[in-house]
Amino acid sequence: MSRAELIERYQAIPLPTKSEEHWRFTDLTGFDPDSYTAAGDAPASLAATMLEIDASGMAAVGEAGITIEHAPEGIRFELLTDEHPLLGTLVGHSEKFAAHNAAMWEHGLLVHVPKGAVVEKPIYIRVTNAIEGGSLFWRLLIVAEAQSEFTVIEEYASASAELSGYSNAVVEIIVEEGARVEYVSVQNLSQSTWHFASHHATVGRDAELDWVAGGFGSGGGKVWIQNDLAGQGATSRVTGAYFVDNEQKLDYDTFQEHIAPNTTSDFAFKGVLRDTASAVWRGMIRVEKGAQKTNAYQENRNLLLSKTAHADSIPGLEILANDVRCTHGATLSQVDREQLFYAMARGLSRQEAERLIVRGFFQDVLDRIDLEPVRTALAAALEARIPQA
Amino acid sequence: MALLEIKNLHVALEDGTPIVKGVDLTVNTNEKHAIMGPNGSGKSTLAYALMGHPSYEITEGEILLDGTDVAELGADERAQRGLFLAFQYPHAIPGVTVTSFLRSAINAKRKAANGGEDDPIAVKQFRIDVLAAMEHLKVPRELAQRYLNDGFSGGEKKRVEILQMAMLKPRIAVLDETDSGLDIDALRVVANGVNELVGPEMGAIVITHYQRILNYILPDYVHVFVDGRIVASGGAELAQKLEAEGYEAFIPAGVGGESA
Ligand SMILES: Nc1ncnc2c1ncn2[C@@H]1O[C@H](COP(=O)(O)OP(=O)(O)OP(=O)(O)O)[C@@H](O)[C@H]1O
Ligand SMILES: [Mg+2]
Repeated sequence: MSRAELIERYQAIPLPTKSEEHWRFTDLTGFDPDSYTAAGDAPASLAATMLEIDASGMAAVGEAGITIEHAPEGIRFELLTDEHPLLGTLVGHSEKFAAHNAAMWEHGLLVHVPKGAVVEKPIYIRVTNAIEGGSLFWRLLIVAEAQSEFTVIEEYASASAELSGYSNAVVEIIVEEGARVEYVSVQNLSQSTWHFASHHATVGRDAELDWVAGGFGSGGGKVWIQNDLAGQGATSRVTGAYFVDNEQKLDYDTFQEHIAPNTTSDFAFKGVLRDTASAVWRGMIRVEKGAQKTNAYQENRNLLLSKTAHADSIPGLEILANDVRCTHGATLSQVDREQLFYAMARGLSRQEAERLIVRGFFQDVLDRIDLEPVRTALAAALEARIPQA
Repeated sequence: MALLEIKNLHVALEDGTPIVKGVDLTVNTNEKHAIMGPNGSGKSTLAYALMGHPSYEITEGEILLDGTDVAELGADERAQRGLFLAFQYPHAIPGVTVTSFLRSAINAKRKAANGGEDDPIAVKQFRIDVLAAMEHLKVPRELAQRYLNDGFSGGEKKRVEILQMAMLKPRIAVLDETDSGLDIDALRVVANGVNELVGPEMGAIVITHYQRILNYILPDYVHVFVDGRIVASGGAELAQKLEAEGYEAFIPAGVGGESA
């Protein structure tokens, strides 16, 4: 489809409303995606980073373009073109915001790691909204050929905490036979930025995808995460941690699609909310007819630090095979006042006690992260996000 | 000036039910006080109120620490001034290791002592101190890296309470049934821990049901606590009398205490 057709396509899809099941808890009233300027000549300026990473490759993405600061040896780390045959194979243009991205994206990256290649240090991509009232359409395509191993870390940020903007991202990840990919996506946009993202991966035979999603910023929007367990023995693990305050609204819509037999998926999202912030997590596990011996797990646990914070968890199962194991769990809790008293009785101030309890709450999701530098970086990012005493 | 002076203390539950009904007690450094009383008589309520638990309201009276009334202060400030409560039922904080909890507590204390400015203990020094204290109190090494009280056995929790006391070096320690659930060896270790700390720097209140721990701790004073009040005080011999005769003789006519 040409860009002109894609624009028409996008325009033909109405803005989702709360009457649609997936948008039941996310209200887009007052948001006009077309009111943001699509182009600009701001430099690909760098916001303060949440992550301290020693990277093998590094790219900075902004409204004005992409700067590849250095590329890792032996792989393709380059600008993505419209002609790439795999582009759009996972995320199409039937959903409003994916369609908007398909129509508008200018700057995209291709990370293509050839068969058997192992990239020791992570590849680090920073996506920065820098233009006031601007939109940034970012597109990432990751291809992991058979037996390759590497880590991609993607960080979304705003050049300033006051910036208002529109961030629209599409990420497609193809993990071929026996490959092992770690994908870390941390979002720390300003609280007056709308963030919409579709992340979709397909995991091939005996391949492993280990995914970490961190949500700290943005004011509203929606993040779709889909993993297709497409080859026998494929495994995907998604670990989510979020912390929101003020009037932030986060929305995660996850989909574990088991297509092949003997596949495993394990999604765990944990979040802490304060003030009048809210979060929605919707998790669907679908096990297709042929996907016998599926092992699927999903959980969402929220900790509320104020009476006015709010979280909704909507787990879902759709099982078409008969020999499967699917489990899910969701909890909503408040800081236990006995825990708080216990810590304060040891001399910690109320805030210090709360910080400690919040840190403890996130510990088991951090423990899921195998890669030490990523774990440390995310722990530090979380730590920075927890209000200081 | 007395270290801790409790004057005519009255404590009520959130619904207004009075539990502690006029307690007077003075504790100095170098002193060990035992409080013994029937179940439900209000001993833990007294301990919680001393520490500043928000569920218990002080309706009358004073808690003077070094002559200053701390009744309006939060638990954190009371702790920073040297008050320590070994909980009857210690709470778990999942995800926070014993070590990291201890370090936070020590740093909170150091911060308070440093006029509110951070003054964290050096990591190496901290490690040395913890290991020494654990060794001394025979706290199994592996507990250090476990999440605080999360899945701990009853005895392990109590040992870790004493470990915290030993590390935080309070000036007044209130031990609420720290002996319950301890095996004989642990009981000795805990009693020794208390004995070593009580001295010119610390006084202690030991709430217990059993004479057994008092054989090791040797209290200077024993107080009989019935229906929210201290109804008798005496020396160590009072505990023996209690052990032999029970609380019957101390329960005033007309009070339907649970043990009556
Ligand atoms: N938070 C609370 N809510 C309701 N009742 C309470 C609360 N705390 C204490 N009580 C009641 O107050 C009374 C005194 O309880 P407390 O725990 O102080 O007794 P205790 O002397 O420590 O008993 P034990 O020897 O069994 O530990 C009891 O009747 C108890 O049920
Ligand atoms: Mg009690």
